[in-house]
Amino acid sequence: MNENTIQMEHITIREQKVRKNHMKAKLIFFLTLAVILLLVAVFAKYLCPYDPYAQDLMSAQKPPSAEHLMGTDRYGRDMLSRVIMGSTISIFATLILVAVVAITGTAIGIICGWNGGKVDTILMRISDLFLAFPSLVFALAVAGVLGGGVQNAIIALAVISWPKFARLARGLTLAQKASPYLMAARLAGSSTPKLLAKHILPNIAGPILVTAVLDIGTTMMELAGLSFLGLGVKPPMAEWGSMISDGRVMLQTAPWMVLSPGGAIFVTVMIFNLLGDTVRDYMDPKERNQ
Amino acid sequence: MKRKMLAALMAGTILSSMAAAPAYAEEKTFVYGTTGYGVQMGDEGLNPHNSYSGWSAIRYGVGETLFKYNDDMEIEPWLATEYEYVDEQTVKITLRDGVQFTSGRAMDAKAVKECLDHLIEVHDRAPGDLKIESIEADGMTLTIHTTEPCPSLLNYLGDPYAAIIDMQFGTDGVEGDSAGTSNVAGTGPYIATNVTETQINLVKNENYWGGEVNVDNVVVKTFGDASSLSASLQTGDIQGTYGLSYDSYSLFDGNPEYTINSCATSRCFFGQFNYDSEIVKDQAVRKAISMGIDKEGFCSVLMEGRGIPAVGAFPSSFSYGNEALTTPGYDPEGAKAVLEEAGWTDTDGDGYVDKDGQKLAIRWLTYPGRLEQPKLAEYAQATLKDIGIEVDVNCTENCASYVDSGDYDVYVSSLTTAPTGDPEYFFTTCALESSAKNCSHNSIPEVEDLYTQLHTEFDKDKRSDLAIQMQQALLDENQMFFVSHLNMGIVTKSNVTGMEAHPCDYYEITADLNIE
Repeated sequence: MNENTIQMEHITIREQKVRKNHMKAKLIFFLTLAVILLLVAVFAKYLCPYDPYAQDLMSAQKPPSAEHLMGTDRYGRDMLSRVIMGSTISIFATLILVAVVAITGTAIGIICGWNGGKVDTILMRISDLFLAFPSLVFALAVAGVLGGGVQNAIIALAVISWPKFARLARGLTLAQKASPYLMAARLAGSSTPKLLAKHILPNIAGPILVTAVLDIGTTMMELAGLSFLGLGVKPPMAEWGSMISDGRVMLQTAPWMVLSPGGAIFVTVMIFNLLGDTVRDYMDPKERNQ
Repeated sequence: MKRKMLAALMAGTILSSMAAAPAYAEEKTFVYGTTGYGVQMGDEGLNPHNSYSGWSAIRYGVGETLFKYNDDMEIEPWLATEYEYVDEQTVKITLRDGVQFTSGRAMDAKAVKECLDHLIEVHDRAPGDLKIESIEADGMTLTIHTTEPCPSLLNYLGDPYAAIIDMQFGTDGVEGDSAGTSNVAGTGPYIATNVTETQINLVKNENYWGGEVNVDNVVVKTFGDASSLSASLQTGDIQGTYGLSYDSYSLFDGNPEYTINSCATSRCFFGQFNYDSEIVKDQAVRKAISMGIDKEGFCSVLMEGRGIPAVGAFPSSFSYGNEALTTPGYDPEGAKAVLEEAGWTDTDGDGYVDKDGQKLAIRWLTYPGRLEQPKLAEYAQATLKDIGIEVDVNCTENCASYVDSGDYDVYVSSLTTAPTGDPEYFFTTCALESSAKNCSHNSIPEVEDLYTQLHTEFDKDKRSDLAIQMQQALLDENQMFFVSHLNMGIVTKSNVTGMEAHPCDYYEITADLNIE
């Protein structure tokens, strides 16, 4: 090994460190943004400059001004307050939905991967069935049957979103199941629940977490989509999708009615997507040690 | 080789289109966009004997009726020239000379009899309205015998279903029309060449009895969405629209390139209280709700001035319209007092009044098909909250099933209350025990009594008086509340003339239509 090679290796290690630090900073940055969003959603009630539900026809359809930063809607309600208030429903409904789907999907996936046999075949064929439907169309049908409301929209999307996680968890479980360390653990006398909880779950959690975070953006768009079509919240509830739908016809005359909630969706989805990307990069050993 | 052939082909196309161009250049074509035509509206096709398709026949200038409504919604002869009541159950109508169907057949009493006979044989609403026992045809004189005195017979003969068509031509459509949507031969200024569920192509009737028709071709296109309608008008794809959303009017208002023509119609937005529901059986609650709706604000701001606050079922242009009636206006403080007097107070401090432990919450049922209705619901939700009433809005396309199950306290809908320029229709439709759309499930004995008088009364002034008394009784009982009358608007490019909104919104494309 000559001097040159040693120097090269030195540089590579330094580069790796720098990259890792950079990645960490990025992760912290996006995490902070996401936490700020969550805080806004939690304390929405106290952050609104006006009552988001108070109508005042005298000041209807006012463009953005110092008084109303995002203008007012056709009922004279302050758009900024409604966008802030809307974050509660939009963000929490999305998080609940993703959590429900990820947990159920993973549980089903682990059962399938661990048990195999008939259970696996039946559950996987059911998931194939759901994967075969175009997601939004199916969600529309479910929401249509159940009627409007956020709860029903969440159920509708949950019904079609779980197979993705089930398939992922099943594949990962199968890979872990065949590995020698698991065999050793079993020989050492671990029971099945212990094996699943202590060995399988921690080892498959990474990719599932990444998928879940990356899914937040898409799910938020789908929920907003259902609301836009009138299958989400009921009036007068502030929710971004339904606010866009309300203002849609006035895009030319009062564009702020669409742009404010639209911008809110854009920013939120972007933050969660970038966070997902960063989490993936950070947790992927290949990326990390390149 | 291929390139040469392609070039030759392109050159050929350009040449042939150039050759064809001068022939079209002289023709006037008008493209009309509407949200009022199609399967959803129940008026697809042009066969007047089918559901509401007669509206399309009249609106797009294919059919005409014996009598038409003038701007005061009074009837005047159209294909008829005069009429005479021989007795209470017999009317003699003289038909206009020199009128020809677009099939080439001359219109005479025999042709009209064939048409009306077929109408009462197959149509769902016509037999009950017209009460025709028999028709005699003699040259140009038509004698109609009714089963009972029918004072509004001539008004009903102006309803679009009574458009006169040539029954020999039939109602099945033109030859070679694969869509199979009904086409007919009427007497109007236009002849349909192609009729589908989404579009009608019309050419001018060269032999129109009413004189020269100005525009050669008319295309009627249906739009499911009001925003694409306004966008199409802006891009120039269409030159005229019907059914533009209020939110879009400001795009065209004051713009010299467009003309807005609007007119108050008898379409009325109104609410009916469900008497099967315990909570609104309480008259104080009904009265408070009626007083807690800000009609002025709704009409001027949310309907952008395209609505007129309503007192009763009929607009002010009628002698029995708004001005003849009295009802308390928007009065939140008064409404609170009414509730308090009846024992409804806010004991738990949640902002809503309650009585015997029950919160005053009402279920407000409506449907989104009419754009104003969801807006009204959301606005009323806010104004009623101020007086302590919680409103749970159920705005659904599936409204009919909720109406059937009775799962509502207030049902807000809209209705053209005087489609024939006569008050009787509104009462038979909504206000009587026998009414099909009586969503109150209640009938007031006084209204029932007055109706039996109205039903057989021929004198116009007396009919008007009866209509006033009946509306007032409904208002005093607070069985219904009337919110707004619709100002119907037609927006066209400014070079389009002769297209005017009419109070009954039947007459849209007429011989007067022109492009300058």
